[in-house]
Amino acid sequence: MITLKVNDREYDLVIPVNRTLTQVLRENLRLTGTKQGCSLGDCGSCTVLMDGQPVNSCLVLAVEAEGHEILTIEGLSDEGKLHPIQQAFVEHGSIQCGFCSPGMILSAKALLDKNPTPDKSEIREAISGNLCRCTGYQKIVDAIQAVANKV
Amino acid sequence: MLLPKFAYHAPTTIDEACSMLAHFGAKAKILAGGTDLLVNMKKKLLSPEQIISLNRIEGLNEVSYHKGSWLVLGPLGTAANLSNSKLIQERISVLAQGAGRLGSPLVRNRATLGGNLITARPASDLAPPLLVLSAEVVLKGPKGERTILLEKFFQGPGQTPIQVDEILTQILIPKTQGAGAYIKLGSRKALEIALVNAASFLELAPDGSIQQARVALGAVAPIPLLATSAAKILKGAKPKDEDDPVFQEAAQAAAQDSKPITDHRGSAGYRQDMVKILTLRTLKDAYRQLMKNT
Repeated sequence: MITLKVNDREYDLVIPVNRTLTQVLRENLRLTGTKQGCSLGDCGSCTVLMDGQPVNSCLVLAVEAEGHEILTIEGLSDEGKLHPIQQAFVEHGSIQCGFCSPGMILSAKALLDKNPTPDKSEIREAISGNLCRCTGYQKIVDAIQAVANKV
Repeated sequence: MLLPKFAYHAPTTIDEACSMLAHFGAKAKILAGGTDLLVNMKKKLLSPEQIISLNRIEGLNEVSYHKGSWLVLGPLGTAANLSNSKLIQERISVLAQGAGRLGSPLVRNRATLGGNLITARPASDLAPPLLVLSAEVVLKGPKGERTILLEKFFQGPGQTPIQVDEILTQILIPKTQGAGAYIKLGSRKALEIALVNAASFLELAPDGSIQQARVALGAVAPIPLLATSAAKILKGAKPKDEDDPVFQEAAQAAAQDSKPITDHRGSAGYRQDMVKILTLRTLKDAYRQLMKNT
């Protein structure tokens, strides 16, 4: 049995050891905002924050996430009110199919938490592990830049 | 893709981990960051019965600290830790440069220094910087501890002298006043395996002559390679500035030291040409840094 702390809530879970954090978030906790794409650490759609750092949750064993603070996309909004980054993604049309959006937003959050005033190249670098197959990168960068300018 | 079944162990001391490794032998694999092992397990290239995680052992993730005339790096320090560490940026910036080019930010937050060395890939981003820094690795097993020069550690793709019951516990770097630089050439800026990479390192004597020189190359041989004839040309030379012909000669020698192959990512000839260019640029960069410091 393990205890996972996800979005400030503790969950006691009995799971097989070969389950990844992505699987446990989606299948056991029903937090399906975290997407499973390539499952090999290439696409970034499974991005979650682990102690504030963005990681590919498909390459983290759930048992190894014990003792760490996990933040998923569901943990960003506050009682139905969108997080400023989420709001900016809506306003700038940064969401096309939406599959990469949770990962993009969490990578952006990790960047802005560390560096509230990034330039365009720092933004592009921060989301370089998150692939958008609709290729709408420009609007994603615009949205993150807009949040940075407001700070 | 799903992970095959395995038994999971999380020892809390190195000794405990070594005795587990000795007990399970080839059936066990060590888990550090998982960015390589778990991918290979999902692809069914590896299916170890036993996974021994090092992540609950205290101290292995210490990024870097001073110990006498050495800088010690912990094997579980992540690539992100290495690229962001003030100590590493100030003392051995060439390693911070290499670590900052590995994979993507997401991968860098998990991928570990020890894992990167143990997998012994010819295109490793951390190996060339560590080779030019004259790094040594400490291996600990039930029979005790031994230290190996990194250049003797790489024996072939994925091949190292580490025994099944040994763990890489420390990476040692002799303290130095020199400066180095790293360049990775690929067709993308992120999530890329180097087409060619190169690191150079120079240390000057008080009279301005080159006291110590090392050039290391990646993705142009079965192992990350020290370009020894390039180093020989540089040692003892007294360049008048960064455009001194000795750097050109050394870059040419590095190209001759390399033994690239042609594959879908690039031809051998192109790689060899790029070795020359990258070596020259890293040498000039290292030399510029030294001139700025004097």
